[in-house]
Amino acid sequence: MTGKRKSIWVFGDYRNYYQNRVTLQLLSKAVDLSRLLDAEVCAVVVGHDLEEWIMEYTAHGADRILAVDHPSLTSYSTEHYLILMEKLVRERDPDILLIGATDFGREFAPRLAKRLHTGLSADCVGLDLTPDGLLVQIAPSFGGNMLAEIVTEKHRPQMATVRPGTFREIPHNNERTAVVERLPLPAQLPPARVRQIQYERAVQREHTIENANVIVCGGRGLGNKNNFRKLDDLAKLLGGDVGATRPVVYAGWAGHDVLIGQAGKHIKPKILFSFGISGAIQHTAGLGEADFIVAVNKNPQATMMRMADVAVVADAADWLNHLVKELRRRIRE
Amino acid sequence: MQFNPCMKHKLIRSQARAFAETELAPIAAEIDRQRIFPRDVIARMRGLNYFGLQVPKEYGGAALDSISAAIVVEELSRVCAAVGLCVTVHNGVAVYPLLQFAGKSQKEKYLPPLAAGEVIGAFSLTEANAGSDAGSVETTAVKRGAEYVLNGTKIFVTNGGVCDVALIFALTSSPENKLQSSVFIVESRFPGFLRGELEDLCGMRANPVSSLFLEDCRVPAENLLGKLGDGMKIGLATLDNGRIGVAAQALGIAQGAMEAAVKYAKERQQFKKPIASQQTIQNYIADMATEILAARLLLYRACELKDAGAPFGCEASMAKLYCSSVASRVTSLAVQIHGGYGYSKEYDVERYFRDAKVTEIYEGTSEIQRVVIARAILTTPIL
Amino acid sequence: MLNIVVCIKQVPMVTELPWNEKTGTLRRDLAAGMMNPACKHAVEAALRIKADGGAKITVVTMGPPAAEEVLREALAMGADRGILVCDRLLAGSDTYATSFVLGRAIGREVPGCDLILCGAYTSDSETAQVGPQLAEELDLPAVAYAERLEISGRTLRVRRLVDKFRETLEMEFPALVTVSMEQYKPRYASFAGLNRAFAEADILSVNLKRLDITPAELAAHGSRTKVRRVFIRKTQKENVLITGAAANAAAEFLDKYQRKISAVIGKSIEAKKQT
Repeated sequence: MTGKRKSIWVFGDYRNYYQNRVTLQLLSKAVDLSRLLDAEVCAVVVGHDLEEWIMEYTAHGADRILAVDHPSLTSYSTEHYLILMEKLVRERDPDILLIGATDFGREFAPRLAKRLHTGLSADCVGLDLTPDGLLVQIAPSFGGNMLAEIVTEKHRPQMATVRPGTFREIPHNNERTAVVERLPLPAQLPPARVRQIQYERAVQREHTIENANVIVCGGRGLGNKNNFRKLDDLAKLLGGDVGATRPVVYAGWAGHDVLIGQAGKHIKPKILFSFGISGAIQHTAGLGEADFIVAVNKNPQATMMRMADVAVVADAADWLNHLVKELRRRIRE
Repeated sequence: MQFNPCMKHKLIRSQARAFAETELAPIAAEIDRQRIFPRDVIARMRGLNYFGLQVPKEYGGAALDSISAAIVVEELSRVCAAVGLCVTVHNGVAVYPLLQFAGKSQKEKYLPPLAAGEVIGAFSLTEANAGSDAGSVETTAVKRGAEYVLNGTKIFVTNGGVCDVALIFALTSSPENKLQSSVFIVESRFPGFLRGELEDLCGMRANPVSSLFLEDCRVPAENLLGKLGDGMKIGLATLDNGRIGVAAQALGIAQGAMEAAVKYAKERQQFKKPIASQQTIQNYIADMATEILAARLLLYRACELKDAGAPFGCEASMAKLYCSSVASRVTSLAVQIHGGYGYSKEYDVERYFRDAKVTEIYEGTSEIQRVVIARAILTTPIL
Repeated sequence: MLNIVVCIKQVPMVTELPWNEKTGTLRRDLAAGMMNPACKHAVEAALRIKADGGAKITVVTMGPPAAEEVLREALAMGADRGILVCDRLLAGSDTYATSFVLGRAIGREVPGCDLILCGAYTSDSETAQVGPQLAEELDLPAVAYAERLEISGRTLRVRRLVDKFRETLEMEFPALVTVSMEQYKPRYASFAGLNRAFAEADILSVNLKRLDITPAELAAHGSRTKVRRVFIRKTQKENVLITGAAANAAAEFLDKYQRKISAVIGKSIEAKKQT
């Protein structure tokens, strides 16, 4: 072992920064880990016009920033980012490399880990250390119903993609300083084999259900399509989205785009209303991240009722009507 | 005899189950309540060979073995017995006799559209005065030139409201002027073919069971199935096969009811614990599971004999008798385990309970099955 | 004609997790197997390509002998050929080892493969890593989470939605794509197809020996990660029960949780105090 200080790297993923601050969350966890490991926290950022991110990462806990800034890196390219990251990791040999489990992170990290001949765990919902200082990567499976503790014993860096929202970011601190290394682009970056033809911000509507704060979800217990459609009223009042279970989608009460569960959308609302849903695992597998669940069902023993924070024993359609009426009254006031 | 399902049978089951749970489960209660025949689901089943389960490939069928065909009916009935009934009647007693007794040109004309499900089949023996006593059919067929003219009324015709082809049993005269029964392939578009109102039945309500009226119905002579006077022979052979189908249907209903009851028993809490922890409920579940497995083995045994070309009538009757009585007992226990909720239309077991009963009645009542079985046992020489 | 490989996986069909509380393990033996849903979408994507312009589809799976079932299912749906990569030494492989072995199997048994399709992720381990790592193993250009594929000549155009960006990407064959579950709703296998998948199926079973992977080589390319422990997530919920007439219960519910709801939705639903 050389006397070199260990290093924990966080990959700077800044696309959608204002909605998704996973990089800052990872910096915060890296700071925690660095205290226990006596390591340095290093943010690596690749792209163009990076000053904003260099300042952000500094203010949020990075001790060192490696920045590769070049106009040719303006848009995300898995291939180019791989070449650059592989080179940096090989030169500097970090102990841990954390990457946000964004769509890009989950496409990019596996190739990088393979290229570096090291291990990788996916979409972690927790990180910890063994007494010997190994990174314990807590990864979900079966729709978050099961968790596995994974370690990479021999190979370095220990790599994990981490689910956004898992850790809380450190408050912004303008006083902090970091060593910023601006690195040149290697001269021989080959043309990417995957060519970008079109690239545009998606219409907001397309993704809201995954990020919605409030979701009102209905199942077969609502009885019929008309009752199901009343969820729209509640969603409108609460500024939320409507979700549906598989039987409801197949009965034609709702489109496949709002299917919640194993075969559909995985959601993480702050409040989830669940009307007339028994709670088959195909559905509950998509609810792993719901903060506060209100379930309405005639059967108090239904799985959904048991996993709820508030379980309302009532006819789902009937209660929905009363809730909408009462909410309208209150909002009008 | 193989006691473990082979990979093929497992896959057939998982495909049929996925279809039933995805396409039928969401509508099963509603189509029962409203007596709706689910035409759009039926349309989706066509390309998947649900209507040509055992038809040879050259006629566009799936050429399945009999256990596979039974599994398909089981899985449909586990979710929606009325659609299971449509499929088993079409395959078991409309298509099957054509496969067995039709001439080449009849097969070429009727099997491809039947196997494709473009044409739905029915089997029409029962009349007001001819139920278990199949010999008392009163519908007549009189030859007039190149046609037979049929007159009479058929009742309780499964698929009657939607069938495009029905096999009609009618009395004909032999050359010696003796009355004998014969079977005719009658298309619904033939003049004089009329449908009655749908029957308002206890169960299987999504199946369009109806009467058929034949009023001077003109049928081309080439539509005689088999030979003149083959009615009894065709009828008995067809019923043997149909019993396998009804047994599969009963078994599927029993399976669905048991699964619902087990799920409910684990969820339902009384006296601060799941009712599944009560020994009485455990006894019910043990009996259900044991009888269902026994029924399934008996049914597959009959299927195996049929595919081996051996006589299978006695075993088919045994399977039908036992599976249907298991279905009645299991669905009744499933309602019992659900308590008051089980008696409500909010839970599926109420529908299973109503659907199960008729499996003890049609395709030969349980009493008739015992006659068939006893006759077979008593006429087999003791060696 | 295009030479397409679809990598598929058999996953446990879970309606209830068959969890053994005493040993803390999943009773996988109790669960029936099924084709991973996203893999099924990948098979469907391949079948649509085949219907449009012709293709030979080889489905490949790595797993225990019983995993042959998902190959048969894919053949019943319309794939042409199946390869089962099966060896006791492969049990417990992580994505690093799996992508190595799959890469070798495809290289050896499907030479001249133009396009590899994978499901975007599996419903059991959910890593979404095998596809990208297989691309790395075979040094192929790759795109994950594809919603739509279009082929013209040797060029593959892929549409996808990632991180709130709608992208259209192009690459030349050979290439790898992981298919999302947005489009390509899989067909049911017909019973005739199922019968054919048993009567006339072309299924090849290969072990490590056939792939010339020595134990030493497997060790060198073996799993990088180790699972220390698996456990069920326990949620600590208050589980408040509200009963009673719906009209009163709705008001009671809102009274109790109005602060919380108001904070989340950003507007007040708090009842005015009666004066």
